[in-house]
Amino acid sequence: MPRFGTLDLSGWNKSAPSLSGYKTEPLVLKGAQILSINIEIDDDPADALLPKTMHPSIPAYSIFNVTNYPESPFGAFAIAEVRVSGRTGVRPRGFVLRSYCNNEDACRELASRWGYPTAQADVKLDIRHDRVVGRVNAGGRPILECELIDRDVIAGNDIQYIASMHMARNKEDGKLVLVQVDPDFTFSKAERGKPRINLLDNEAFSAGSNLRLGNPISATFTTADVTLPKIRYICDPELPAMQGTTKVAA
Amino acid sequence: MKFGLFYEISVPRPWGRETEKTVYDNCLEQVALADTLGFDQVWAVEHHFLEEYSHCPAPELFLTACAMKTKKMRVGHGIVVCVPEFNHPIKIAERTAVLDILSGGRLEVGTGRSATWTELGGFRASPDETKKTWDEFVHCLPKMWTQERFSYQGRSWSMPQRTIVPKPYQKPHPPLWVAVTSPGTEIDAAERGMGSLGLTFGGFAEQEEKVQRYRKIIRNCTPVGDFINEAVSTVNFLYCHEDDAEGVKVGKRLTGTFNYLAAQLLAAREAYPSKSYPSLGLLPSLRQEASGPGDASGAPEGIAIGNPARLVRELKKWEAVGCDRVNFLLNALETVPQEKVLNSLRLFAKEVMPHFAGASDSASAAAGGR
Repeated sequence: MPRFGTLDLSGWNKSAPSLSGYKTEPLVLKGAQILSINIEIDDDPADALLPKTMHPSIPAYSIFNVTNYPESPFGAFAIAEVRVSGRTGVRPRGFVLRSYCNNEDACRELASRWGYPTAQADVKLDIRHDRVVGRVNAGGRPILECELIDRDVIAGNDIQYIASMHMARNKEDGKLVLVQVDPDFTFSKAERGKPRINLLDNEAFSAGSNLRLGNPISATFTTADVTLPKIRYICDPELPAMQGTTKVAA
Repeated sequence: MKFGLFYEISVPRPWGRETEKTVYDNCLEQVALADTLGFDQVWAVEHHFLEEYSHCPAPELFLTACAMKTKKMRVGHGIVVCVPEFNHPIKIAERTAVLDILSGGRLEVGTGRSATWTELGGFRASPDETKKTWDEFVHCLPKMWTQERFSYQGRSWSMPQRTIVPKPYQKPHPPLWVAVTSPGTEIDAAERGMGSLGLTFGGFAEQEEKVQRYRKIIRNCTPVGDFINEAVSTVNFLYCHEDDAEGVKVGKRLTGTFNYLAAQLLAAREAYPSKSYPSLGLLPSLRQEASGPGDASGAPEGIAIGNPARLVRELKKWEAVGCDRVNFLLNALETVPQEKVLNSLRLFAKEVMPHFAGASDSASAAAGGR
């Protein structure tokens, strides 16, 4: 059988965001600009970044997203996250290690409604003709700089963003749960280029020494209307997905 | 309708010294039996780095062993990856010619381009280029087999004039096929006069449409080789048992295991957005279709698991939509014990094969008659 994640949950016991419940209504965020970078990571240490619920993909890779949301009920905001690829059963998913957001209200809403493990930081997308750069500064120091180089137009339907798994604490019973968040994307523009990570503070993204960057894969920059959905599935982070998945909404 | 075997060669963890050898030995035993039972062909994939799912990076070696253990079965490279980072075209021409000679002219050559980032990234091949290099390779290969002197100046590769030896035993050359996974690849096959080696099921309606389109286009094709190989093959799972419930139960374990493993791999499309890969390729398609809705037994439509009567019924549907051949996956992670696999082959040959014209005439006799 495929390998399983071996994540130690003790860190998450202290840091997991508190989820207000599973009955979240969808939220449409128009005109999002999404920088997404895929880089392979060393397989064996990456197992320790994934919960037991998930299998690592073959090979493992990390996904760096920096997104501008120009409008939302909480005002404009930008969010950056680092995810590790995996599978819940047979479904491709990215487990979010940590995210940072530059809007306090958005931070709170995203954490309580969808379980985003988000802290406040300065998050910026720098869009130039030859490249798109995502930067995150937290506590006055840079923790992430990633970029797409040599922008080249592709079709939106060539893009396949995978859904996320967020580790959160259910307010009702105080237990850790993995929340599946599978946004819907309607693309109006898509580009691809070469990926590059210029700076990564592993500690700031809860990765320790287990996130070891390897072969660069791809970078995309898209404009899309994004719908954050109702929460439909949650998983027990201590059990394989085939045994520990619960449907909480249709 | 002809029937064959299709090997990915799936090896379960833990990988002890004997594990891979046992799996290979089991496969060869199955092939040797299938030859006596009247199965027509055996195909083996070329895959790299696909841990547990497929430990078959050198199909030409496995197929050589198959050829040595069989008398009649044709041996199919299913497929040769036509990407220069994986295989140099000269080496493809040479080693396929040798295999054709060693097998006494029983070689079929499937061509393709890989569908996973796991493999493409491992060889540092660009997903954007693979359709183009495949096309170049398949246009060169027949000439390399048939022309005494060959030279080439192309886009992805070139060579000065040389004599490529040996030449294949079959004249003018072995039949050529294309692995059809992405939508529209059946058109690529038809336009070039190549066989359509279907590696996904699709619904019957979709499959029928594809076959009709293929047969229509191939009438006006510009063949890459010296002859047109008009043939449509599809892949399926096989577990045949006298008791339908048992057959479906074991068969579903087989399909479930295969599909679960396939899902762990990284499809090119997931990692590297490219118009060159509009679909997820072989693996997820097989997964969806083999776990799709079926009847009350739980057997998905079109999948050859269950008792002989069910298998005849399902395979007749494939025949009706225009498939000439069905190649069967027999195992994944050794989920089905070897003796059960062998018994399944025997029962299939005895009770199912005789219902199909063109399936080996010797099938019934070899399996002990009906």
